[in-house]
Amino acid sequence: MLTTPEERVTPAEIRKKSGEGMAIRWQDGHESAFGARYLRGLCPCAQCVSEITGQRMVSEEHIAPAVSIEAARTVGNYALHFSFSDGHTTGIYSFDYLRRICSCPACAAVRPRVDA
Amino acid sequence: MTQTLITESKVLDALRSVMDPDLKRDIVSLNFIRNMKIDGESVSFDVNLTTPACPVKERLREQSRKAVLSAIPGVKDVRVNMTAEVRRPPAPETSRIKGVKNIIAVGSGKGGVGKSTVASNIAVSLAKSGATVGLLDADIYGPSIPIMMASSGEPEVSNQIIQPVTAHGVKLMSMGYLSGEMPLIWRGPMAHKALQQSLLGVNWGELDYLIVDLPPGTGDVHLTLVQTVPVTGAVIVSTPQDVGLQISMKTLRMFQQTKVPVLGIVENMSYYVCPHCGGRDDIFGHGGAKKAAETLGIPFLGEIPLDPAIRKHSDSGRPVVLAEPDSASARALSEMTGALAQQISIQAFRTIPLSIIEE
Repeated sequence: MLTTPEERVTPAEIRKKSGEGMAIRWQDGHESAFGARYLRGLCPCAQCVSEITGQRMVSEEHIAPAVSIEAARTVGNYALHFSFSDGHTTGIYSFDYLRRICSCPACAAVRPRVDA
Repeated sequence: MTQTLITESKVLDALRSVMDPDLKRDIVSLNFIRNMKIDGESVSFDVNLTTPACPVKERLREQSRKAVLSAIPGVKDVRVNMTAEVRRPPAPETSRIKGVKNIIAVGSGKGGVGKSTVASNIAVSLAKSGATVGLLDADIYGPSIPIMMASSGEPEVSNQIIQPVTAHGVKLMSMGYLSGEMPLIWRGPMAHKALQQSLLGVNWGELDYLIVDLPPGTGDVHLTLVQTVPVTGAVIVSTPQDVGLQISMKTLRMFQQTKVPVLGIVENMSYYVCPHCGGRDDIFGHGGAKKAAETLGIPFLGEIPLDPAIRKHSDSGRPVVLAEPDSASARALSEMTGALAQQISIQAFRTIPLSIIEE
């Protein structure tokens, strides 16, 4: 099936799985599952990634294993916002970014290391 | 004499041959046909379009009439009543302004390209066509909409809700109202709060279109807008020159990055017609925006001339589409608004609802 670059980064369905994290089915058919701790550890906000150097300051190993997503909402047309159980709420995860950090083995294998 | 019975289903079958040129579907499957009445040899019905500003309204009326007359023998009289109901693109109920169907951002790469003039003429044109319209002046650096719409009144506040001012049939809110005569010397967080208040703290009521006049460039106000509400689409106003359109491209990419569909580019100050000799002069070059739109696959909405009348009427608070509706400039602006309304309707049909399913 031919897909456009736009369909790759546009969700067809977004599900918040209680206690497990998020699942996104993209318009190109690909399915991504994101654990809460994985997402929290890849938060793109300015507290977690240095604004000046681009270096990641907070990553998954700093996050409590039991962290969960208390609330998720859409931001305009382009991103998701999460309220994590550790009180962190400043990250805006664009759909482009979420697709880039898809944790499935196929995507992880071809992806360069993601810092932000 | 054999009299074939005229039935509703026969009329609908005949109307299936009439296509909406933008949505590329027939007007029956689009559910446009309403209130059909058959009385002996007379048939009447409404064609409920997606915008009162539809430029092909008369063509669709004529096609509908002919389709029924030619397909069903026995029909002597067909009355087609053109109505419109602006559709709302699907979006999660929680994140949009209650009652507002479409939010249209008007942006530009740099200042001084006539963005506010274009925005106010779009708002007034849409209102003239019968739509309910709001206009939010979000240009914190130089709010000019109150002057262009001649509204000197200040909005009243009751129960912490701002009541918008109405001018030329358009509900108005300006960031300028928040500061009075004082210049706005704001840091990002202040601009952020002020825009949120101007979007969510205003009693807009039921609106088909809310036009948001953005500050030039890309900045805090733009980000707040796209993060606070689902924007239906954006219009980019450019001059033919605009440093080879490099600057407008940045605005375009900002909208693309935040998944705001770009509904089209308008080329303002496109050409100058000399009032003395009638000769045309392309002062800033010509056709740059159209070429860029073609390259990028974005609709080109129209060329607006550099006309002293547009400037004069904006300064006096009566947009040219009202003050001189038959002038070439007003016609260019109205046609551009029609093209925009078409794109908004297409977008409303194309958008897939985005919401989070909780499990």
